[in-house]
Amino acid sequence: MALLEAEQVVMRFGGVVALDNASVDVDPGLVTGLIGPNGAGKTTLFNVVTGLLPPTSGKVKFDGRDITRATVSKRSQMGIARTFQKLEAFNTLSAFDNVRVAVEQNHRAKWRNRKVSDVAHEMLGKVGLDEVADVTVGTLPTGSARLVELARALACRPRVLLLDEPSSGLNEEETSAIGQMLLGLVADKENELAVLLVEHDMSFVMGVCARIHVLDFGKIIAVGTSMEVQSDPAVRAAYLGGDEFRGAYAGVDQ
Amino acid sequence: MILGVRQSVAVATLLATVGAVILAVLTWKGAPVTSETFLVTTYIGLFLGALWAMYATGLVVVYTTTGVFNFAQGAIGVFAAFFYWELHVNRGWHSILALFVVVGLFAPALGVVLDIVIMRRLRTASLVVQLMVTVAIMVLLLSVVGDIWEADTARRVPYLFGIENGIDLGPSQLPWHRLIVFVVAIAIAVSMRFLLRRTRIGTAMRAVVDNRELAALNGARPNVVSSTSWALGSMMGALGGILIAPELGLDPATLNNVVIIAFAAAAFGALKSLPLAVVGAMLVGLLRAHTGAWLDFGPDFRFAHLSIAPLLLLFVVVALPQARLEVGRLAHHLRRHERYTKWWEGLIGCGVVILLAVVFSGGWLDFGIWDPGAWGSRELNSANEAMALALIGLSLVPLIGWAGQINFAPLAFAGFGAFVYLKLAGDSGNGYWIVLVGLLCAPLGALVALPAARLRGLYLALMTMAFAQAMSLIFFPHPWVMPIIGTGRQFPHIELFGVTFDDRRGFFLLMVSVFALFVYALVLLRRSRYGRRWMAINDSQAASATLGIPVVWTKVVVYAVSASMAGIAGVFWATVSGNVDSVQGFDLLIGFNIVLLVAAAGVSIPMAGIFLIFIPLFTGLGHRLEDAGSVDFLVTLLDIMTTYGPGLMVLGMVFNPRGAIFEMGRGFSPILPWRSDARAEIAAENAQKREPEIGELGLERPFTPEEVIALDRRLEILDEVVPKEGYGTPRS
Repeated sequence: MALLEAEQVVMRFGGVVALDNASVDVDPGLVTGLIGPNGAGKTTLFNVVTGLLPPTSGKVKFDGRDITRATVSKRSQMGIARTFQKLEAFNTLSAFDNVRVAVEQNHRAKWRNRKVSDVAHEMLGKVGLDEVADVTVGTLPTGSARLVELARALACRPRVLLLDEPSSGLNEEETSAIGQMLLGLVADKENELAVLLVEHDMSFVMGVCARIHVLDFGKIIAVGTSMEVQSDPAVRAAYLGGDEFRGAYAGVDQ
Repeated sequence: MILGVRQSVAVATLLATVGAVILAVLTWKGAPVTSETFLVTTYIGLFLGALWAMYATGLVVVYTTTGVFNFAQGAIGVFAAFFYWELHVNRGWHSILALFVVVGLFAPALGVVLDIVIMRRLRTASLVVQLMVTVAIMVLLLSVVGDIWEADTARRVPYLFGIENGIDLGPSQLPWHRLIVFVVAIAIAVSMRFLLRRTRIGTAMRAVVDNRELAALNGARPNVVSSTSWALGSMMGALGGILIAPELGLDPATLNNVVIIAFAAAAFGALKSLPLAVVGAMLVGLLRAHTGAWLDFGPDFRFAHLSIAPLLLLFVVVALPQARLEVGRLAHHLRRHERYTKWWEGLIGCGVVILLAVVFSGGWLDFGIWDPGAWGSRELNSANEAMALALIGLSLVPLIGWAGQINFAPLAFAGFGAFVYLKLAGDSGNGYWIVLVGLLCAPLGALVALPAARLRGLYLALMTMAFAQAMSLIFFPHPWVMPIIGTGRQFPHIELFGVTFDDRRGFFLLMVSVFALFVYALVLLRRSRYGRRWMAINDSQAASATLGIPVVWTKVVVYAVSASMAGIAGVFWATVSGNVDSVQGFDLLIGFNIVLLVAAAGVSIPMAGIFLIFIPLFTGLGHRLEDAGSVDFLVTLLDIMTTYGPGLMVLGMVFNPRGAIFEMGRGFSPILPWRSDARAEIAAENAQKREPEIGELGLERPFTPEEVIALDRRLEILDEVVPKEGYGTPRS
């Protein structure tokens, strides 16, 4: 059974249907991708899964339990962590304090009785931000602030990590480092970590994700491995003319 | 658990109905209800409702179109009413002409000026800054009214068309004035609804608040739109003030308090719906008229019938569904680093404060600097009052400064603290009870915050205001609560460690010590996990929640801590004044001035409290100068500073939201050896200023090489793009 399941989620904003019976399942030990054109409903699905938006109908299940009506913080304490597409870092706190807040406030983050500051430093180190630990996050460049969010989410010792476009604002080198780190994290059996990744950088998605869900106009139009998804006619139609996907093909051809 | 809309409305309605029925049964007067009396009461209620609806309409229009909730709406009405009185009564202008000048010319001009100078800049400001600035405008307007039209003259604004003539309704008469008010109020609400929903400018007005940039791209002109909104809102406030003044009398405080009812009415429409806001206003009017007619709360609760607006607000707050945590609204870039006071800096600062206090109060340690006799009881008295206010002000630091929540009721909590102390310590004045006062005030703070903590911050701010009003209408006037009001008995002198602090100097030093203790505790608290958690929910509630922080509970705890501090401060405040008259919860101007001063000083910095010590210095100095006799100009200047200072300083927050202490710290950094961080930051800012401005994306003319480098630096791609040899020739 999947660790995290969104079942037939419908999300309506007035007359707009942002999610239309969308079902997504995420398994531990691998990175699952969630792709789709702009406005397909990817971030909305994240908000429903983390509890920021109550779905119009449908269910969210975590580890077999129905958590559709659980509060945001409750879900987080159960092991669901996320980053945001538009930054939600704690701007007035230092990078170190951003991560420290997570370690202090999340029960899961109390890693084997280690000192809070040690864990925080380790997480900052993982994303390569040791040097700016004492810098107020609001003064950091966007890419670095994004990494602070990632470190903060990791500090919660999540069982499911939802990443909303982690590569934006990063250069190629940094992006591939993040990819390597994610693969390392999910490969470590001890973590039992599942990652759900929303991303526009197709070569990144194709390189990292074992399974991919494709969302279009709020509907899941395809699920499968990167090869399966790329050859799916419905996906091709959805992306027709989209440069992103052509770029991804170019990468595959090479 | 999260309640849905229908469930929460049902719960609130059930609670309200049960409460109302029980209350009605308990307090039924027994007067006969005839169709005649019922009708008359109803039409009085509808008329009152119409007046409040006018204010509420203005509030809702401005809020839905600019996103700013205007606390100054009532004060605009006050100013307009006095202005109208000046023109019509004092100078004898015809009422129509005076009405046109005030409502048709002055009010829209005021709205447009406010918009251009201040409100436009508040669009991206935090809720704290937004509210503080509109409250500052309120306080400033009321101060101006107080200065121009001094309270020693009795003034009356006549009814338009008189009160004697009207339509005969059989049992009674409906005067023209009231009929006109009713019709005008409804007409305004209807036309505003039409304007917002059916016209081009209305659509633009609503679009701008959602997404200014996008609306501008589609041809809306955001600045024109916001000026229009403010002009309209200001006109409605002015008209409301002029029409309500004949009923309530021309008293600034009374007229301004009307706005709380308008807040409740606007909240009834969830701050967005005009029809519901009008219904809310009518509801308050009807409830008030009918409770006045049929219910009798007895002499102990003689003001209870006035507290319907706070109760309506409570109903709304319970009935509203849980607010969604907003994402994607954060402006990422801060220009400046946050700096925390280090523990030793706090220690030194507190030491300096105590030292200054000893020198100031003179009597105990005479350094030969001051002549102890010259600083007599009057100076110490005002110093004591100001110290107590400063203590109350400190309670706002964790709440407003760190957690970004608003509390307009510090004095209500202080009054409750004084009440608890009076009951516990009685005549003895045993100071150890103060600790228990702190503990007992905390649950009250939690209770006030609990219903509104699930909602957006504005509701919590309104809730604290409603709470303060309810306390001063229901709780404080009760003879059991404050038995010494009016009897002139002294509040007991505090006794601690075997010392009775019955002389002014000793008490002053005691308060300064408590103040220093509070400041130091705050310095430590800010560096603790609790301080961090509170600052985190201020920065992003959504992110806090996804890290596992229970946001609602966290807010409730901060309110409890703040209420506890305010309660302790209240004991000192009551002891200073000798009785508790002045601690009644809702002295609007004093309460707001405390909040404003702390905010202007830089409310996130614990040391901001020290700023409030300037009040005793100023007042003391003022008294000295007055005694000296010859320097009228300086006395006037100090007077102006105390009256207008807080308001004007807060207006400065529009440009420097971090507050005065922060700017002072930066300003003095060249001579403070340990502030190398500020020096480095200033240097970096200056370096950035020297960078050339980037023109219209190079469309008007080719980029210069410097601009290319500057552009690359902004885009953070400088290292990759700049070739070793630099840019040779300008690109086009």
